[in-house]
Amino acid sequence: MPVTPPDSNSNELPLPVRSATALPFPRSDLESEVISLFDQLRNPLLRYVLSIGIRVQEAEEIVQDVFLSLYRHLRIGRSRSNLRGWVFRVAHNLALKQRESSRRQLGSAAGSGDLAERRRDPAPDPEEQMVRSERRKRLLAVLRALPEQDQACLYLRAEGLRYREIAAVLDRSLGSISISLTRSLARLHRADGG
Amino acid sequence: MTIEDPHPSDQEMLLAADGELSPRREASIRAHLAGCWACRARMSELETTIRDFIELHRSGLDPALPAAAGPRALLKAQLAELAAGDRRESPLRLFPLSFARTVAVSLSAAVLATAAVMLLTHSSRYQRESSAIPEANLTPGATRPATREDVCRSEPDQNARLIPASVRQRVFESYGLPNARPEAYEVDYLITPELGGSDDIRNLWPEPYSSTVWNAHVKDALEDRLHEMVCDGTLDLRTAQHDIASNWIAAYKKYFHADKPLAR
Repeated sequence: MPVTPPDSNSNELPLPVRSATALPFPRSDLESEVISLFDQLRNPLLRYVLSIGIRVQEAEEIVQDVFLSLYRHLRIGRSRSNLRGWVFRVAHNLALKQRESSRRQLGSAAGSGDLAERRRDPAPDPEEQMVRSERRKRLLAVLRALPEQDQACLYLRAEGLRYREIAAVLDRSLGSISISLTRSLARLHRADGG
Repeated sequence: MTIEDPHPSDQEMLLAADGELSPRREASIRAHLAGCWACRARMSELETTIRDFIELHRSGLDPALPAAAGPRALLKAQLAELAAGDRRESPLRLFPLSFARTVAVSLSAAVLATAAVMLLTHSSRYQRESSAIPEANLTPGATRPATREDVCRSEPDQNARLIPASVRQRVFESYGLPNARPEAYEVDYLITPELGGSDDIRNLWPEPYSSTVWNAHVKDALEDRLHEMVCDGTLDLRTAQHDIASNWIAAYKKYFHADKPLAR
């Protein structure tokens, strides 16, 4: 997977820029910085991991792992460019491994199907519980019918990631992200009678 | 836009709305929208669909998000423990945090006492019996379909080596270390992903960082060396996989021409 390039887009987190050769931060500063990033990104990360079919307890563990990995990443002076993209990429990779491990452990087809479909099984899907209208049901049905990668694009964009960040998380080209988002929104629009 | 079709596509309008176009192209599309009701209507529909999706997404997930206070406190505690470094720890001191990591806080005193005994028993057995080499019946090694070109295509990605906590826990349990301190071991790939190793639990084992001379840091050096040799064409990928899976210490001695770990 390519290293995430620096992102010049304006909604990037206001992180201090340090070169890879700079001396690492003192540990106490690093701990504070990681906690600060946790405060900013925990909910978006947790939502994304839940979105791709991981249960709440496992998703919390993955998020913990992500920030512990971030601490180690910063502690040894690795790149600080686009840390938001970095933590989402690590979370994505861990979530896929978790899902694959669960599938193997169960020895079933738990890993098959699209992301939204897995959100219903085996735990009750929070979204399902919240569906109150036929219109929402139609949208959810279309969302669940989207290819897994298209769903992931939507979920990552919904958490504020820029196209190049999404491309890095999913290891896809920038152009394919744009096409995927456009295609998915068109399908959702048609589901709504458009 | 072209002369034949002056209206921007949905893709272009979305790119413009998301700030993903060059300033010049974005200005051009905005100018078009100012003068074209049809495209403005399409843009409005696009925004409505986005709003509907966000509402669906958030309303379904936000109520399911647990409060952040507990996980935040746990992270702070784990960071403090990480920052404390590789100090030699007694198993009893490590017990509370490791446990908090995997289960809830409400365990009875009896369970705690039993688990503490198990921890001491299994941990000391594992240390004493030398864990530098994984147990072949538990960790024979497993690979994914990968060619030399695959493994050499890009720089090794450290993220690819991360293993979810629940999988690590399964590895610890399989090795009789249900309450092992995560920071004391690297749940490592026997055949590293950079050499085509898979995520299968048969390719994972708890490798101590500091309890033996032949520790995780030493194996990391071997993995780097083998990856270099495979990619510069001096070693066949299958041979590298076989040698590291059979006995990685022997492989280290063979490929570093040394009887003990070299200083890094």
